[in-house]
Amino acid sequence: MRLLKKLLTFLLSLLILSAAVFWIARLAPGDPLASYYGERAERLTPEQRAQAEARLGLDRPIAAQYVRWLKNALRGDFGLSLKYKTGVLEVIRGRAANTLILGGTGFALIFSLALGLGLLCARFEDRLPDRILCRVGTVVSCVPEFWLSLLLILIFAVYLRLLPSSGAYDAAGGDRARHLILPLAVVVTGHLWYYAYMVRNMLLEQTRADYVLLARSVGLSRRRVLTGRCLRNILPAYLSLMAISVPHIMGGTYIVETVFSYPGIGTLSYESARYQDYDLLMAVCLLSGAVVILCSMAAQALSGRVDPRVRAASYMREEAGHGR
Amino acid sequence: MDKLLEVRGLSVSFRTSAGTVEAVRDVSFDLAPGEILAIVGESGCGKTALCRAVMGLLPKNAGVTAERVALDGTDLLSLRERDMTKLRGRLFSMVLQDPLTALDPTLTVGAQIAEAVLVHELDLKKEAVRRRVTELLDLVGIGEAEARSLLYPHQLSGGMRQRAVLAVALAGRPKLLLADEPTTSLDVTVQAQILDLLRDLQAKLGMATVLVSHDLAVVARAADRVAVMYAGKIVETGTAKEVFYDPRHPYTRALLRSLPSLARPGEPLYTIPGMPPTLIGPPKGDAFACRNENALAIDYERQPPMFRVSDTHFAATWTLDPRAPEIPDRQAPAVSSIPRHDHPRRAADPDGVLLDVQDLRHSFRLTRDTAVPAVDGVSFQVRRGEIFGLVGESGSGKSTVARCVMNILRPQGGRILYKGVDVWDPAAFRANRRMLRTERQLVFQDSASSLDPRMKVADIIAEPMAVSRVKPPRGTARAEAAFQLHYVGMDPSYLDKYPPELSGGMRQRVAIARALTMEPELLVADEPVASLDASIQAQILNLFKHLQAEHGFTFLFIAHDLSVVRYLCDRVGVLYRGKLAELAPTEELFSNPLHPYTRALLSAIPVPDPVRERARLPYAYDGRSFDRTGVFTEAAPGHFVLQSGKEDMA
Repeated sequence: MRLLKKLLTFLLSLLILSAAVFWIARLAPGDPLASYYGERAERLTPEQRAQAEARLGLDRPIAAQYVRWLKNALRGDFGLSLKYKTGVLEVIRGRAANTLILGGTGFALIFSLALGLGLLCARFEDRLPDRILCRVGTVVSCVPEFWLSLLLILIFAVYLRLLPSSGAYDAAGGDRARHLILPLAVVVTGHLWYYAYMVRNMLLEQTRADYVLLARSVGLSRRRVLTGRCLRNILPAYLSLMAISVPHIMGGTYIVETVFSYPGIGTLSYESARYQDYDLLMAVCLLSGAVVILCSMAAQALSGRVDPRVRAASYMREEAGHGR
Repeated sequence: MDKLLEVRGLSVSFRTSAGTVEAVRDVSFDLAPGEILAIVGESGCGKTALCRAVMGLLPKNAGVTAERVALDGTDLLSLRERDMTKLRGRLFSMVLQDPLTALDPTLTVGAQIAEAVLVHELDLKKEAVRRRVTELLDLVGIGEAEARSLLYPHQLSGGMRQRAVLAVALAGRPKLLLADEPTTSLDVTVQAQILDLLRDLQAKLGMATVLVSHDLAVVARAADRVAVMYAGKIVETGTAKEVFYDPRHPYTRALLRSLPSLARPGEPLYTIPGMPPTLIGPPKGDAFACRNENALAIDYERQPPMFRVSDTHFAATWTLDPRAPEIPDRQAPAVSSIPRHDHPRRAADPDGVLLDVQDLRHSFRLTRDTAVPAVDGVSFQVRRGEIFGLVGESGSGKSTVARCVMNILRPQGGRILYKGVDVWDPAAFRANRRMLRTERQLVFQDSASSLDPRMKVADIIAEPMAVSRVKPPRGTARAEAAFQLHYVGMDPSYLDKYPPELSGGMRQRVAIARALTMEPELLVADEPVASLDASIQAQILNLFKHLQAEHGFTFLFIAHDLSVVRYLCDRVGVLYRGKLAELAPTEELFSNPLHPYTRALLSAIPVPDPVRERARLPYAYDGRSFDRTGVFTEAAPGHFVLQSGKEDMA
């Protein structure tokens, strides 16, 4: 029952999202025919234009266009990319894997590094390692991603010629790892600090708890309590934080992809908006939207499930109400 | 004397943004092996800081200086943190106030005990660890140890949790246990059990204990020796009998006199005037001087040394100096039985029923299909002008009753009539909205969280008028606030202060003033003195008494502390697991309790008298025999009890 409700909320959110994107995309200036015909679009006569628009269904009112799109989408037909002249899903399928590799690796790195760095900072609270990491982190997280990307390209690709400046693989389709290094570096440095700092503060908050005092008073060292007890206690909160972080990190990869001309969903969404490739834009937005909604739902569910306390929370709240 | 712990000249200070707080000032004491020393004092007197300083577990902003802190011959001050870690648990360990927060919620009780065992005995085999965990749980009186060790802390009751904390603390077989308010968050019926357990353990294991408490009755039950702390200093120390029967320091005497269970019949409670001094730049003389009616000039000028009364009894007060003048009231307060109460007051109107609660029912859902009945068919009437007490342990449903009465929580069954108006009937409520909103007011337990910390006292007190759009009868809202403040015994200089600047007692007065602004008839007070220190609690109780006697307010007074209820209330209802077990006029209930649970509750009242308190055998009530199906019948005029064929009625 609850699952069904969740599913309905999910679908309704997507429906609203699709309507909004559909409408806004058509309000944006630009010529969709330009992406279909390329440069020839400028040489079309008014009659030819009208003909082409009618053929692509662009002459009808927006609402009617939307209804037609929705009907097709429900049947699994998401339309045709004006630019690539193939099915939208096919275009996306080719790019999704690239984004998944970049975003997934980035997420995994951020997830584990944030935990490690946060633990390190908490362990040396207000001492040298903590201070250095906090300063460096604050500065680095202030650097805009696209600027950092350009800087890295300049240093490692242009001057040192160590790494490729763009793309996901070389002409033969290999060498993926080396192509990943720069984009990954930007994605990770852009987000890592925020999450590491959250881990640090969540851990430090735990160290003020009574159970830490008891554990230390029977002879456990601060380090052991921190890694053994406190880490366990922040895990539910951390997992749900990281679930919410997925869309943020995804947004970061989109920017990075565009700067590095990395053939992923990010560049695709940029191109589709740039060239009025309506159907492609819709599909890309819905895909991203679905990820965002699913992640926030996961975060909600996680914060409730992992913690044995939350299962008894209603009871405890009740007891606290009577408490002295 | 053979010394286990020797503390000489210990001072602890905390650097805060407001200045340096001198929490502990030049404290010295000794502890013999196997001895229980109680450190008594009000909140903020430095007793907790003292404990943590000995453990070496103070927060980072703390500074510690001492001539010597030695445990079992080891000088603790010269040790590095790594070596201290090795000693903790094996030489000394600690028990904290709230057992729920002291245990890690994500680990089973057994796992936490096992970890505490393994820290010191690294090469212990798995099987041996398990045996040791079971042993420890047995030792602290947790039966079915094997099964219980697999439970999480939140699955245990409060008393069981504190036993589990003890098991963790005892895992390394320490020679010294520091127990910081170990019974404060527990129900009265459990308190005595935990104290007896502490004594029992001390006898079995020969372990010395420092028992920190604000509660003199708790101390009377367990302590061999007592040290009284005030404003960061130990002002008096002696054996339990010496301190309780022959207190020498004016503070100790005042503290004993302000206990409701020691009040003289017919007199208002003795209250200590003023408040404890701030410890940022503490006074140079005796810190208690400004609250002491008989203070000498020298008290304000010079720190009194510890004067010797007997070989074991010392007190820091100039009144013990041979040159000091004789002070008339030198005798100790009469440690008498709990007072009858026969205060002059307007007679409660026996016919005028102000509040009528009829068959109130409410249950809370735990999961989708289990529910706990919080209130299960409770009926009582509060008469105009009386103080009606509702007592029970935590979870008995008393707060739920208060919330239903105040239109905060919608009851699932039953009716609540205020002046004959059904407060939960929407039409009746709408017709009488103004009366119901203004004539009933609520005072909460914790004034720190029930007052907005960012609002000035004047605005807090005047807010109800703004909410109900009432024109202030005394002209301006500020004048009204000043009047109400005066009413509860505070001067207008407090109007522009913020709640965090006030002490607990002052905050509670502001909360009461806010409730009085609307000129209510019924005040519902939910544990209004439970979180206050003894001397402050007396001030608030006197205020309630005054409000009723002089101004005719009616109170529904909710409490767990029976000595407070006995002092204050006209009639008392005893709640147990959501049912009224007994209801009677106060004296009738205390002299002739009929329900076995009431008897257990009465027998659990601690007495601040070491001899009688230790002789007292709390009568345990077995909750399993509680008969929910019993009929509430009138056994004597005005005395109702939940009758049952199954239970042993007196």
